[in-house]
Amino acid sequence: MITKIVSKNFEIPDSHLIDVALANGRYSSLKSVFEKEPQELIDIIKQSGLRGKGGGGAATGNKWQIVSDWDGVKYVVVNADESEPGTFKDRRILSLDPHLLIEGIIATCYAVSSNISYIYVRGEYEEFSDVLQGAIDEAYEKNFLGVGAKYRVDITIHRGAGAYICGEKSALLESLEGNRGHPRLKPHSPEPEFYFNEPTLVNNVETIASVPFIIENGADAYRAYGTEKSPGTLLFGISGNVNKPGVYEAEFGISMLEFIEKVGGGVKKGKKLKAVIPGGASTPILPYEMLKDARLDYENLSALGSALGTGGMIVLGEDASMVKALKNLLRFYHHESCGQCTPCREGTSWSDKILDRFVAKKATTEDLEILKSVSNSMNGKTICVFAPAASGVIDGFLKHFEAEFLECIV
Amino acid sequence: MKILIDNAEVECKEGDLLIEVMLKNALEIPHFCYQEDLGADGNCRMCMVEIKGQKRPQIACNTFVKENLEVSTISENIKEVKRSILELELLNHPVDCAICDQAGECKLQDYYMDFGLYDSHLSTPKTKKGKHIDLGSNVMLDQERCVLCTRCVRFTSNITKTNELGIIGRGDNSRVAVAPGHELNNPYAMNVVELCPVGALTSKDFRFKQRVWFLDSTKSICHGCSRGCNIYIDYNETKYSAEKVHRFRARRNNKINKSFLCDYGRLSYKELNENFNADVSHVKDLKELLKDEKKLALVSPSMSLQQLQAVKSFCKDNSVELFSLPYIDENFGDEWLKTNDMSANFNGVKELGINYDEDEFGVSLQEAHVVINFDHKYLKNRELKSKKVVHFTTSHVDSDYELIFVIADFAHDSGTIINCDGIRQDFYATKYESQNSRLVDILEELK
Repeated sequence: MITKIVSKNFEIPDSHLIDVALANGRYSSLKSVFEKEPQELIDIIKQSGLRGKGGGGAATGNKWQIVSDWDGVKYVVVNADESEPGTFKDRRILSLDPHLLIEGIIATCYAVSSNISYIYVRGEYEEFSDVLQGAIDEAYEKNFLGVGAKYRVDITIHRGAGAYICGEKSALLESLEGNRGHPRLKPHSPEPEFYFNEPTLVNNVETIASVPFIIENGADAYRAYGTEKSPGTLLFGISGNVNKPGVYEAEFGISMLEFIEKVGGGVKKGKKLKAVIPGGASTPILPYEMLKDARLDYENLSALGSALGTGGMIVLGEDASMVKALKNLLRFYHHESCGQCTPCREGTSWSDKILDRFVAKKATTEDLEILKSVSNSMNGKTICVFAPAASGVIDGFLKHFEAEFLECIV
Repeated sequence: MKILIDNAEVECKEGDLLIEVMLKNALEIPHFCYQEDLGADGNCRMCMVEIKGQKRPQIACNTFVKENLEVSTISENIKEVKRSILELELLNHPVDCAICDQAGECKLQDYYMDFGLYDSHLSTPKTKKGKHIDLGSNVMLDQERCVLCTRCVRFTSNITKTNELGIIGRGDNSRVAVAPGHELNNPYAMNVVELCPVGALTSKDFRFKQRVWFLDSTKSICHGCSRGCNIYIDYNETKYSAEKVHRFRARRNNKINKSFLCDYGRLSYKELNENFNADVSHVKDLKELLKDEKKLALVSPSMSLQQLQAVKSFCKDNSVELFSLPYIDENFGDEWLKTNDMSANFNGVKELGINYDEDEFGVSLQEAHVVINFDHKYLKNRELKSKKVVHFTTSHVDSDYELIFVIADFAHDSGTIINCDGIRQDFYATKYESQNSRLVDILEELK
């Protein structure tokens, strides 16, 4: 079930050191990169069908094209603000194979004609950030980066201050510019992101780390994995009530239940599977009954009323209290709402507080109605998708497990 | 080009901002964060409208009009959206209208009456935040009343560029604040009180003084300097006290002050309330004095064109040499609204050809036997030995004089003034009868 493309070097000791990395194929794709014109690289990425691996799953090649076509000084920003509960894949790349990321950044910068890259690392990832900085320093010494390089790229790490919302690309750029991490209003027509008003590409760590393989082996080699619409592989995370939590790379389109059973080692203590949050906290929960044919790709999970998201599965066994699980998630949204838009600022706090009444088994029928109406107020009325995600989470729990909530009503 | 708003045709240009089109056409569109001179921020979500062909409601402050746009603000769905967002705005609000100075001119109150009218659903504790925080510059902050529209923050970051205010905290813990050890401190600071759509920012100068529904308003022009910022004079007369001006508010004028005033001008209303006593002289005594040969008059450059014209005719008829001198303070002006010329109508003085040569005035003053001062500050506190001084004044005179006539100030006399950029503007008298005569009427009597 496991396919290793991005995670190929993860188990090699000291793979974060440049000598080990070089001995294991890192930076080998640069030869094919520089043989090609930037536009050829963009075309290869388009053909490969590579989709953004930060949760949204947008076509990477199109994003590159827009930035490439836009006039101005171009920036490549790597989104390493991995803070989605249940998601812990990018940290593996940062700490176990940072040179793969650097190699990908060089290729990406060359493709979109940028010389400057920032890696926005989640504030809490201090140790991973230090490993990454070590790798960047080594890459400068070996002239993969900086003035001595064949194509000049400078990489700077920027560590966030611990806000989940800074993983939203426009909030990330606001934060990178030194402002409060508030998402920006969405544009009315396709355009790149902007860093200090200059066209900027924002890609997830894993997306960039997938680039060297595609360039070196061609789009078809990548398409050999996964499904037609979701080609390639993803670093799937699995956590919760499972025997072998961790990050495992696999093709898109594999069976979810099989993955949980074979790779995740099944539910702890031989208990029954109750539900799965398929791709990070923000994807609606799916009960076991709906998972029989569930496949780990964007289309299949979307058809089931959820989403693949980051691929970070949270597994809940039969003993899990859905009321407490929702409380846990809503506390997170309450804590992390940036506070910019009214529905989110007040809605995340209100729904979290109402859940306290359910957890205490002191809720009323009206509380349940309020929870539903607050969820509705948060959906589709804000600048970014944070509130709609929280709304989807509430709706998912109420849709599939309303009985457990009714039990908490006095 | 025309678009449809609630099935009515509205004229506009392609690319206009929908909320601006609606406000221009006096169509009701609730909003907190959008302000004409601060622009849109998109955070309050109050201005949501339904647009035909769009699945989700859209904010009017980020919608640009185009051909065939059909907008609804009254469909059942959009009404529910507005109600639910308003409910969230008010959720943690203390609802202390009874002791809030904003009551009566509060957008939360207005919108609740328009779109709310629901009972409270709150079954959990309210979020507590800071109360009566003194931000400096006469501005008091109540964080619990705040709707986080960031108008005040954007004013200090985009307009004054002084950046004193910011938002700290996240989610429902977000609040407006100054950095520790700092305060709101700029010559335009009090604008944030007026920009605040709710009672979060109140003015130390005005708070707890009046309920706004007891105030009358008159359109006027600030006389603090030559900029001629447009204002409302808010005043009233109560059963037991004479008329009193309670505040100046900015009146929007896109060509001059936009929606803003400087704190100096805003607080200059206090001069209009100064009480002073003087035994008003008789006009016939002045007629007597006018028989003298050597007469000089100095007129305030803050007088209206009508007053200046009357003074000019009076001087001509009675062979009085007339001067005016501007009020200059080199330290007052800045690059925005404040000007070094602190006279309201010096351009009017120039237009009427009144002599403003300081040297010539000095020479004439030495020779004059009778000096008539038309409210010019320069002569009010100056002893002129062996001269007969006549004052037409709106304020206390601190020197010896022969005759004194108390005249109505600019709040009680309508007129026209020309600002530093040559813009001619009218101002109007408040509705209560002044105890003092208008200058023009006294001069008429002298004819």
